[in-house]
Amino acid sequence: MGTQESLDAKVGTGTRVRDPWVTVVWNDPVNLMSYVTRVFEEYFRLPRHEAEARMREVHERGRSVLSAGSREQMEVDVQAMHGYGLWATLERGGE
Amino acid sequence: MRGFVARDGVAVAGLDEDERLVIARIVADVGLLLGGERFGVEEHARVPHREDLAEALRFLDGLSETPVEPDDPALLRLLPNAAPTDREVADEFRRLTQEDLRATKLARLRGLWEDLSAEGAEWVIPADEVMTVAAALTDVRLVVASRLGLETDEDAEALHEEIARAAMVARRGDPSEFEDAERLWLGMLYDALTWLQESLVSLTLGGTE
Repeated sequence: MGTQESLDAKVGTGTRVRDPWVTVVWNDPVNLMSYVTRVFEEYFRLPRHEAEARMREVHERGRSVLSAGSREQMEVDVQAMHGYGLWATLERGGE
Repeated sequence: MRGFVARDGVAVAGLDEDERLVIARIVADVGLLLGGERFGVEEHARVPHREDLAEALRFLDGLSETPVEPDDPALLRLLPNAAPTDREVADEFRRLTQEDLRATKLARLRGLWEDLSAEGAEWVIPADEVMTVAAALTDVRLVVASRLGLETDEDAEALHEEIARAAMVARRGDPSEFEDAERLWLGMLYDALTWLQESLVSLTLGGTE
């Protein structure tokens, strides 16, 4: 837990308040670009162009941060992505 | 096989009996992999058994024990690790979510199986169920892809070419040239499912929403 405390301390002394956890969606060879776009629209309520931009980021850079917030909120988002069959993880923000 | 088209507010695909049977079977296999009962069997055994009770109470185990990460890579794709670099976070996530996820996926697969097991040459999906069906198709494709060893975009492209080459060989009529008939069969199934899902999802992208 030492890592957690030092990270929290770092966030606390930063110049802006940061959400401590993020949801990351990873590229995989199975999920279709059209489907991923629809998932981002439906679940994260992103407008079409934004959903497409995130989908392209996943596809081209291998990953994209889709949401930020408390660990509990991120667990809900990651579970939802797994429900859709996307590979998502949660991690501490700023990693 | 005819891909999905929009008709009077629903999505309609055309599958003959063999195509339905093949897809229904792989859907049922994925259900079994997730630990469900064999689809279609339970309708003949409505009397509750002691095993059913044990099954119904199994969620109690989940409250105290942390479910372990699946050994089978295909199952791991359905129930992924949520924090590969943080064991404590990954275990906690699995403990909180795995049974929910499993139940959600099983219910969707069962619905898909029931659709495909119905009589008729048309597969009709109401607009509000398109994403549910697309998600179930994704789960099936994830398992088939894992069995085919698809881990990268390049693997997927290579499989595509492999199937195209095999199809050419098949047209020349020399089946002995197939090195691995089962892999070819799975690959063709994967391609067909991909094509079906793409036709379904693309219907929902066409509008001006």
